[in-house]
Amino acid sequence: MSDRFDETSDETLGRRLAGELPRYTAPPRLRVTILDTATSRPRRPVWLTPLLSAAATAMVLALAVIPVLPRIVPADPAERYVRAVVSEHSRALMWGSRHGEVEPAGLTWVTEQSGIALNQIFLGDERLEFVAAEPVYLERQRGVAIHYRDTDGHMLTYVALPGSGLVVPDPARVQIGKWRPALLRDNGFAAWVWKQKDVACFLVSDMVSSDDVETFKEYFTRVRASTEPVPAY
Amino acid sequence: MADPDFQRQALAHIDALYNFAMYLTKRPPDADDLVQETYLRAFRFSHRFQPGTHLRAWLFQILRNTFLTFYRVRERESPVAEDGVPEWDVPMFHHAPDNDGTTMEAHTDLERAMRHLPEEFRTVLLLAEVEGLPLEEVARVMACPVGTVKSRIFRAKERLRGLLRDYETP
Repeated sequence: MSDRFDETSDETLGRRLAGELPRYTAPPRLRVTILDTATSRPRRPVWLTPLLSAAATAMVLALAVIPVLPRIVPADPAERYVRAVVSEHSRALMWGSRHGEVEPAGLTWVTEQSGIALNQIFLGDERLEFVAAEPVYLERQRGVAIHYRDTDGHMLTYVALPGSGLVVPDPARVQIGKWRPALLRDNGFAAWVWKQKDVACFLVSDMVSSDDVETFKEYFTRVRASTEPVPAY
Repeated sequence: MADPDFQRQALAHIDALYNFAMYLTKRPPDADDLVQETYLRAFRFSHRFQPGTHLRAWLFQILRNTFLTFYRVRERESPVAEDGVPEWDVPMFHHAPDNDGTTMEAHTDLERAMRHLPEEFRTVLLLAEVEGLPLEEVARVMACPVGTVKSRIFRAKERLRGLLRDYETP
């Protein structure tokens, strides 16, 4: 009997498989379940398409309108100035100065364009590198911005604007040598704010930690001691 | 979703698919799930079926692919021989040992031997010998050349004969 399968040909074995192998038939409920599941799949509600369409349209409109919505600006003039200066610093940080070709030799052009003359200007030293100077328009006034970079890679922006209306907030003032600028913060940036005659001056950087602020004080001293802006006209 | 006519034509093959699923999964609950998932996929992708081709082979192909995708972990766990067929069968379900009470009982030595064949051998015999699909269709279902199908049939029968001989030996 054990020889039976040795002698079984492929053809015979095939016939045995077709004829003797038990066949299993699907339970009747399976067919019903399949049909139920196939037909009961939730259809998209008729109101869903117009709703999605309306939501998408509203979103596009909102995105289009957002840039022209009135922005919430601080009531305090000093904070408003600082916010504008910080925005200019952020822009320069991301995109660079608008007039990168302006060298110290081109400061006359900057004076003409900005309305701020720089009788004396800090052109950098071993810690701060002069990057560019350019005219800016902030808080509806023309002014001048000078960008520096320190040896650690921090960008600093000095801005001088006609600032007869600016009052430096006393509570924020910090004594640095013989000067008492105010230290204000906005959007993760720190700014020294002070006045030189009728010119409002700002020095902005991202140096906000306590250690960085000490260095920032040194930078303020360097810039403040060597820069003298005056209204040109 | 598929039109009712397509559903009717596809459901005409439910017994063949269920039989195939039983021999693949060895467990009626898994066979139920496998067949149900096969039909839901077939209905969902009915537009991909080319009229005039073998509907039953197309359904077998979906069923086997579903089985390999969702049920089988053997390829990651078992050594594979040169032609892609594991040297011996291993449990289909890592969560379902054969003696858990829901595994189907083998009624004959032939069925017992079939259950012990590797899936590739079992499938090729079921499709070619039991369901009578042409070798070209079997090759399409198994995604391999016809020559490989022939080789697998030969080796599957050889293996099957060996198993049956073992069962006959007292």
